[in-house]
Amino acid sequence: MKTLTTALLIGAAGLACTAAQADTGKLLLTGGVSSIDGAAGGGLTPWAVIGSNATAGEIGGSAFVTRTTTQDFGLTAYGAAVGIHDRVEVSLARQDFDASPAIALNGVAPFGVLPGQHIMMDIVGVKVKLAGDAVLDSDSLMPQIAVGLEHKSVTPGSLNSVFNFLGTKTTGTDFYVNATKLFLAQGILVNATLRNTNANQNGLLGFGSAAPGQDSRSWVPEVSVAYLLSKNWAIGAEYRAKPNNLEDLGQAAGLGKGLAEDAWKDIFVAWAPNKNVSVTLAYVDLGRIVPGVTAARNQSGYYLSAQLAF
Amino acid sequence: MKRLFTSLAPALVLAASTLLALPATAQPAPTPMASSSALFDSFGGKAGLVKLMDGFMVGLLADPRTGPHFKPANQQRIKEQLVDQFCMVMGGPCVYKGADMKSSHEAMDITKGDFNALVEVLQRSMDAQGIPFGAQNQLLAKLAPMHRDVITVK
Repeated sequence: MKTLTTALLIGAAGLACTAAQADTGKLLLTGGVSSIDGAAGGGLTPWAVIGSNATAGEIGGSAFVTRTTTQDFGLTAYGAAVGIHDRVEVSLARQDFDASPAIALNGVAPFGVLPGQHIMMDIVGVKVKLAGDAVLDSDSLMPQIAVGLEHKSVTPGSLNSVFNFLGTKTTGTDFYVNATKLFLAQGILVNATLRNTNANQNGLLGFGSAAPGQDSRSWVPEVSVAYLLSKNWAIGAEYRAKPNNLEDLGQAAGLGKGLAEDAWKDIFVAWAPNKNVSVTLAYVDLGRIVPGVTAARNQSGYYLSAQLAF
Repeated sequence: MKRLFTSLAPALVLAASTLLALPATAQPAPTPMASSSALFDSFGGKAGLVKLMDGFMVGLLADPRTGPHFKPANQQRIKEQLVDQFCMVMGGPCVYKGADMKSSHEAMDITKGDFNALVEVLQRSMDAQGIPFGAQNQLLAKLAPMHRDVITVK
């Protein structure tokens, strides 16, 4: 680790930076940034890239912290990932979700929700690259393809009574397959992910639902597009569809659309001043999050993430 | 399945509109219709490539990852061959007469990290020549597939 190593690149912060002798030799943006769930990718969705700067025959690592706030909620996420031979990625992440507005649920029933309640979630992720090279196979349409899983365990604190009422479980596992392609000559990166999940709001509101909500798993698509402005700057957008498991249960419980859930969207700008550091700033639109306690507001706001990689 | 498609539709629309909108607003000089020789011109023609290779070789020798591969070589000859090769892949008026990538590298131990290191040095050299980012990427897109023949340690 003589000097700076590695890379990271961001949602494509492009063909990497100035220099730096490296012990790990992944090229350009090929490590991605850290998604809020810990896997390398965009901000809201994993990509088929393997995190860290390690390329074939090397082992690297990355760490991140992300903060996002909306009208009514706040989320802090942090974690780390290890990339092995540009083939396998193992990630750990913790999310701290400020669910203070949930205190209003005490007006629906005596749930005993405490003021300022936070929901914590731990995520263990594994991703394996199956085929392709997102960057170097620039003469073909073949993308880099990976499969992965994210095992999530949520701790609702005093919201446990609400989880019981909703019939949601506190653990769940998402499975996904994704394809990432950098159209190098055009400087455009595209990722598509298909996720199999039963999570509510990514798992922060548990997994599945009591009837008549949807307890079964769904396949949901996620798409990221990034454009490289220069070696150090990229801009892009993401769309992540999600199940809407709880709405029907809320309807039946007389809450109207009070438990409806929407897709997540963002537009971002990512900056990689060198191969080891990246910063991502985004405007996120997270749709409705328990609209029954937030005046049915759309939750939008900023997202700021920093990553170190080697 | 219906659920999938209804949620997929907006995603695809978003992706498509982003793809369409971005080049119009953000992409600089090289248009999709630009010919290969326009790329050659943006590198300053043959004279520009000669200058680029001079800086490139200095960088390759100075970098601890690539230096050992190039120190024992005939550097002048490599530079001349690279000028011809780059000129040709960019559609310029040159013919590369050197060995193919496979036979010219198979005797060496070249890892993917080595390959990527060379690309980094090339990027720095192109930066030093003031070659626009878009043109750099167009060239890299033509060179990157050579990784299949150049990387010998898989």
